[in-house]
Amino acid sequence: MSFARRVLSVPTINDDPPDFDRLFRLWSQVNDDSLDVEFNFTSCRFLQQNAVSFLGGLARLIEYRGGRATFNWDTLRDNIRTNLIQNGFMACFGARRGPWSGNSIPYQEYPTRNKDSIMAYLKGKWLGRGWVSISPALRDAIVGTVWEIYENAFEHSSSSVGVFCCGQHYPQLHLLKLCVLDFGVGIPSNVRLFSKKETISAAATLRWAFRPGTTTKPNGMGRGMGLDLLKEFVKVNQGELEIFSHEGYGQIKEGRERYVDRHTFFEGTVLNITFKCDESYYHLASEAQEDKLF
Amino acid sequence: MKIEVHTLIGEDCITLDDGQKVHDLILPELKAGRPVELDFQGVGVFASPFFNAAFGQLLRDLPGDDLNRLIKVTNLNPVGMSVLRRVIENSKKYFSDPKYRRIVNKVLDEQAANA
Repeated sequence: MSFARRVLSVPTINDDPPDFDRLFRLWSQVNDDSLDVEFNFTSCRFLQQNAVSFLGGLARLIEYRGGRATFNWDTLRDNIRTNLIQNGFMACFGARRGPWSGNSIPYQEYPTRNKDSIMAYLKGKWLGRGWVSISPALRDAIVGTVWEIYENAFEHSSSSVGVFCCGQHYPQLHLLKLCVLDFGVGIPSNVRLFSKKETISAAATLRWAFRPGTTTKPNGMGRGMGLDLLKEFVKVNQGELEIFSHEGYGQIKEGRERYVDRHTFFEGTVLNITFKCDESYYHLASEAQEDKLF
Repeated sequence: MKIEVHTLIGEDCITLDDGQKVHDLILPELKAGRPVELDFQGVGVFASPFFNAAFGQLLRDLPGDDLNRLIKVTNLNPVGMSVLRRVIENSKKYFSDPKYRRIVNKVLDEQAANA
């Protein structure tokens, strides 16, 4: 049974840090159980891939908590409507429109870890549609790296509604963007619990999580390479990675890493990645170059 | 023993479960001192959970010298090889140095102090 109804105005959302703050403010307004929420787009002029995946996840979170999420499609501007039809978002939420192939990469939601479905998305709908001019080797390198994100989200987030993603291709810039997020407990929470250091800053926990060999789920083997490999690949690819979890914010750009605490809070984890479709940069440097493996 | 990984796992070697399958097949052979060849022909996508389970944890049961002598990896593409090497480097630290976990965790103490 629903107890309250709220109309949320979705603003224009690009993918700079203040845009994520706007998304997190929306999240902070739907944290009550059994809340019916209508998303209104009257003030929205543009939505990027991070907003699409976030709004989809937010709707599922509202439903999981016993509420109802509706999108007021009549308030969409034409450019946004086209995008949301094209990437399958509207079809996913009952609008019976789309998707079709364009520069949008479909919106997807995965309630549980589903290797075959995720790989079909990454290889087929994200990179394999012929409009990204990259070799199979680079495609496979990117897909393997992005899988590390999904693996990390499913293993650590304890997200009750799964993992959400959406992407965008920018052909003229030779860029691919992908946003993967969950509404779980967040990296700082896991690291604080594991380390029994409750006062450590969110930024410090992110820095720790991106170091090789760190994991909050030790299981008798060396683990914790996923985020480190992702980080190294982004550096080699000269791409960009941004991560938001609790107040923590991490950015890997132009080979540099920085981790800071910000003023807005989001309990889950958001990874926003930009890859260059450039064949020159995708081989990770190996630390051990000799023939011996072990 | 020769294992065609593509036949056993498929074109994506990315999950812990698939890595465990490989590990469970090769460990008895390696423990018996018999050589193992893993042929990655046809495999395109690699991720660390697979290599952690398939290769990384071998160091718990056998010394690195024996593994170098007994394991032959063929047709692994350069990206897969670089991921494998990094995973093994991490596993070597994990299994050779009982203090490694503590050392890694100490980073948190340092960061807490500097925060």
